Amino acid sequence: MHKEKLKEKDPDEAPARAWAMGAAGWFFPGAGHLLQGHWARALILGGAVWICFVCGLLMGGHMFSVGGEEQGLSALLQIPPMIANLGSGLLYMASWFFGVGFADDPQSAARATYEYGTTFLLIAGLLNYLVMLDAFDISAERKS
Amino acid sequence: MRHFLVMTLFAFLVAAVFGIVAKDNLRERLLYGIKVFAEFMIIGLALAWILYFIPF
Repeated sequence: MHKEKLKEKDPDEAPARAWAMGAAGWFFPGAGHLLQGHWARALILGGAVWICFVCGLLMGGHMFSVGGEEQGLSALLQIPPMIANLGSGLLYMASWFFGVGFADDPQSAARATYEYGTTFLLIAGLLNYLVMLDAFDISAERKS
Repeated sequence: MRHFLVMTLFAFLVAAVFGIVAKDNLRERLLYGIKVFAEFMIIGLALAWILYFIPF
Protein backbone atom coordinates (compact mmCIF):
# COMPACT_ATOMS: atom_id res chain seq x y z
CA MET A 1 0.00 0.00 0.00
CA HIS A 2 2.69 2.44 1.06
CA LYS A 3 4.96 1.41 -1.83
CA GLU A 4 2.11 1.95 -4.32
CA LYS A 5 1.59 5.42 -2.90
CA LEU A 6 5.30 6.18 -3.31
CA LYS A 7 5.29 4.99 -6.92
CA GLU A 8 2.40 7.33 -7.82
CA LYS A 9 4.72 10.33 -7.44
CA ASP A 10 6.11 11.83 -10.63
CA PRO A 11 9.81 10.98 -10.53
CA ASP A 12 10.71 14.23 -12.27
CA GLU A 13 9.06 16.32 -9.59
CA ALA A 14 11.31 17.02 -6.61
CA PRO A 15 10.47 19.75 -4.13
CA ALA A 16 13.04 22.39 -3.21
CA ARG A 17 13.15 20.82 0.26
CA ALA A 18 14.54 17.60 -1.23
CA TRP A 19 17.37 19.51 -2.91
CA ALA A 20 18.08 21.28 0.38
CA MET A 21 18.20 17.95 2.22
CA GLY A 22 20.53 16.53 -0.41
CA ALA A 23 22.78 19.57 -0.15
CA ALA A 24 22.79 19.38 3.66
CA GLY A 25 23.63 15.68 3.46
CA TRP A 26 26.52 16.36 1.12
CA PHE A 27 27.86 19.29 3.16
CA PHE A 28 27.69 17.57 6.55
CA PRO A 29 27.53 13.77 6.33
CA GLY A 30 24.39 12.55 8.11
CA ALA A 31 22.71 15.98 8.26
CA GLY A 32 20.26 15.20 5.45
CA HIS A 33 18.70 12.39 7.46
CA LEU A 34 19.08 14.16 10.80
CA LEU A 35 17.06 17.17 9.60
CA GLN A 36 14.27 14.83 8.52
CA GLY A 37 14.14 13.14 11.91
CA HIS A 38 15.70 9.84 10.81
CA TRP A 39 18.05 9.69 13.78
CA ALA A 40 19.10 6.07 13.56
CA ARG A 41 19.76 6.23 9.85
CA ALA A 42 21.67 9.50 10.25
CA LEU A 43 23.80 7.95 12.97
CA ILE A 44 24.65 4.81 11.00
CA LEU A 45 25.07 6.36 7.54
CA GLY A 46 26.71 9.59 8.69
CA GLY A 47 28.77 7.66 11.22
CA ALA A 48 30.05 5.29 8.52
CA VAL A 49 31.20 8.24 6.39
CA TRP A 50 32.83 10.02 9.33
CA ILE A 51 34.59 6.86 10.56
CA CYS A 52 35.78 6.09 7.04
CA PHE A 53 37.15 9.62 6.62
CA VAL A 54 38.83 9.85 10.03
CA CYS A 55 40.37 6.38 9.64
CA GLY A 56 41.65 7.42 6.21
CA LEU A 57 43.34 10.47 7.68
CA LEU A 58 44.78 8.50 10.61
CA MET A 59 46.23 5.97 8.19
CA GLY A 60 48.07 8.79 6.45
CA GLY A 61 45.90 8.84 3.32
CA HIS A 62 46.20 11.45 0.63
CA MET A 63 43.41 13.57 -0.84
CA PHE A 64 43.37 14.90 -4.36
CA SER A 65 42.95 18.44 -5.61
CA VAL A 66 43.60 20.27 -8.84
CA GLY A 67 46.20 22.67 -7.56
CA GLY A 68 48.19 23.74 -10.58
CA GLU A 69 51.40 21.85 -9.86
CA GLU A 70 50.47 19.14 -12.32
CA GLN A 71 50.14 19.82 -15.99
CA GLY A 72 48.51 18.13 -18.95
CA LEU A 73 47.34 14.55 -18.51
CA SER A 74 48.62 14.44 -14.94
CA ALA A 75 46.27 17.29 -14.00
CA LEU A 76 43.36 15.53 -15.74
CA LEU A 77 44.05 12.33 -13.80
CA GLN A 78 43.60 14.24 -10.54
CA ILE A 79 40.00 15.15 -11.39
CA PRO A 80 38.13 11.80 -10.91
CA PRO A 81 39.62 11.09 -7.45
CA MET A 82 39.11 14.74 -6.51
CA ILE A 83 35.40 14.38 -7.34
CA ALA A 84 35.30 11.28 -5.11
CA ASN A 85 37.07 13.16 -2.29
CA LEU A 86 34.75 16.15 -2.71
CA GLY A 87 31.84 13.91 -1.73
CA SER A 88 32.94 14.27 1.88
CA GLY A 89 31.75 17.88 1.79
CA LEU A 90 32.74 19.84 4.88
CA LEU A 91 35.31 17.22 5.88
CA TYR A 92 37.17 17.70 2.59
CA MET A 93 36.95 21.48 2.77
CA ALA A 94 38.09 21.61 6.40
CA SER A 95 41.03 19.32 5.60
CA TRP A 96 41.95 21.50 2.63
CA PHE A 97 41.67 24.65 4.76
CA PHE A 98 43.89 23.23 7.53
CA GLY A 99 46.24 21.52 5.10
CA VAL A 100 45.59 18.05 6.53
CA GLY A 101 45.77 15.06 4.18
CA PHE A 102 47.07 16.97 1.17
CA ALA A 103 50.78 16.53 1.82
CA ASP A 104 52.51 14.88 -1.11
CA ASP A 105 55.81 14.02 0.58
CA PRO A 106 57.77 10.74 0.50
CA GLN A 107 57.44 10.28 4.28
CA SER A 108 53.65 10.01 4.07
CA ALA A 109 53.81 7.78 1.02
CA ALA A 110 56.26 5.46 2.78
CA ARG A 111 53.75 4.56 5.51
CA ALA A 112 52.43 1.00 5.29
CA THR A 113 48.86 2.24 5.49
CA TYR A 114 49.20 5.09 2.97
CA GLU A 115 47.30 3.32 0.17
CA TYR A 116 44.63 2.08 2.58
CA GLY A 117 44.17 5.59 3.92
CA THR A 118 43.84 7.05 0.44
CA THR A 119 41.25 4.39 -0.43
CA PHE A 120 39.30 5.08 2.77
CA LEU A 121 39.24 8.81 1.98
CA LEU A 122 37.95 8.12 -1.53
CA ILE A 123 35.33 5.69 -0.27
CA ALA A 124 34.16 8.14 2.42
CA GLY A 125 33.32 10.64 -0.32
CA LEU A 126 31.64 8.09 -2.57
CA LEU A 127 29.59 6.68 0.30
CA ASN A 128 28.46 10.17 1.18
CA TYR A 129 27.16 10.65 -2.37
CA LEU A 130 24.97 7.57 -1.77
CA VAL A 131 23.87 8.88 1.62
CA MET A 132 23.09 12.26 0.07
CA LEU A 133 20.92 10.63 -2.63
CA ASP A 134 19.12 8.59 0.04
CA ALA A 135 18.30 11.78 1.97
CA PHE A 136 17.09 13.38 -1.27
CA ASP A 137 14.85 10.41 -2.12
CA ILE A 138 13.33 10.31 1.37
CA SER A 139 12.56 14.02 1.24
CA ALA A 140 11.07 13.69 -2.26
CA GLU A 141 8.95 10.78 -0.91
CA ARG A 142 10.41 8.35 -3.42
CA LYS A 143 11.31 5.98 -0.59
CA SER A 144 10.43 5.60 3.07
CA MET B 1 46.96 -8.86 10.76
CA ARG B 2 46.55 -5.12 10.37
CA HIS B 3 45.72 -5.55 6.69
CA PHE B 4 42.95 -8.00 7.53
CA LEU B 5 41.48 -5.66 10.15
CA VAL B 6 41.53 -2.74 7.73
CA MET B 7 39.77 -4.86 5.11
CA THR B 8 37.20 -5.96 7.70
CA LEU B 9 36.54 -2.34 8.74
CA PHE B 10 36.19 -1.30 5.11
CA ALA B 11 33.77 -4.17 4.35
CA PHE B 12 31.72 -3.42 7.48
CA LEU B 13 31.32 0.31 6.76
CA VAL B 14 30.45 -0.17 3.10
CA ALA B 15 28.05 -3.05 3.88
CA ALA B 16 26.27 -0.91 6.49
CA VAL B 17 25.69 1.92 4.01
CA PHE B 18 24.74 -0.40 1.11
CA GLY B 19 22.32 -2.34 3.31
CA ILE B 20 20.47 0.73 4.55
CA VAL B 21 20.40 2.59 1.24
CA ALA B 22 19.43 -0.35 -0.98
CA LYS B 23 16.62 -2.03 0.95
CA ASP B 24 13.35 -0.96 2.54
CA ASN B 25 12.82 -2.92 5.74
CA LEU B 26 15.02 -3.96 8.63
CA ARG B 27 15.18 -7.67 7.78
CA GLU B 28 16.10 -7.07 4.13
CA ARG B 29 18.67 -4.46 5.15
CA LEU B 30 20.30 -6.79 7.61
CA LEU B 31 20.40 -9.71 5.18
CA TYR B 32 21.73 -7.57 2.32
CA GLY B 33 24.31 -5.95 4.61
CA ILE B 34 25.56 -9.36 5.76
CA LYS B 35 25.64 -10.58 2.15
CA VAL B 36 27.68 -7.58 0.98
CA PHE B 37 30.03 -7.92 3.96
CA ALA B 38 30.55 -11.64 3.27
CA GLU B 39 31.15 -10.98 -0.43
CA PHE B 40 33.79 -8.36 0.31
CA MET B 41 35.57 -10.63 2.76
CA ILE B 42 35.45 -13.80 0.67
CA ILE B 43 36.49 -12.11 -2.58
CA GLY B 44 39.19 -10.11 -0.75
CA LEU B 45 40.69 -13.25 0.81
CA ALA B 46 40.43 -15.19 -2.45
CA LEU B 47 42.23 -12.43 -4.36
CA ALA B 48 44.88 -12.19 -1.65
CA TRP B 49 45.66 -15.92 -1.95
CA ILE B 50 45.72 -15.78 -5.76
CA LEU B 51 48.11 -12.82 -5.68
CA TYR B 52 50.25 -14.58 -3.04
CA PHE B 53 51.13 -17.34 -5.53
CA ILE B 54 51.86 -14.99 -8.43
CA PRO B 55 55.64 -14.47 -8.43
CA PHE B 56 55.76 -10.80 -9.49
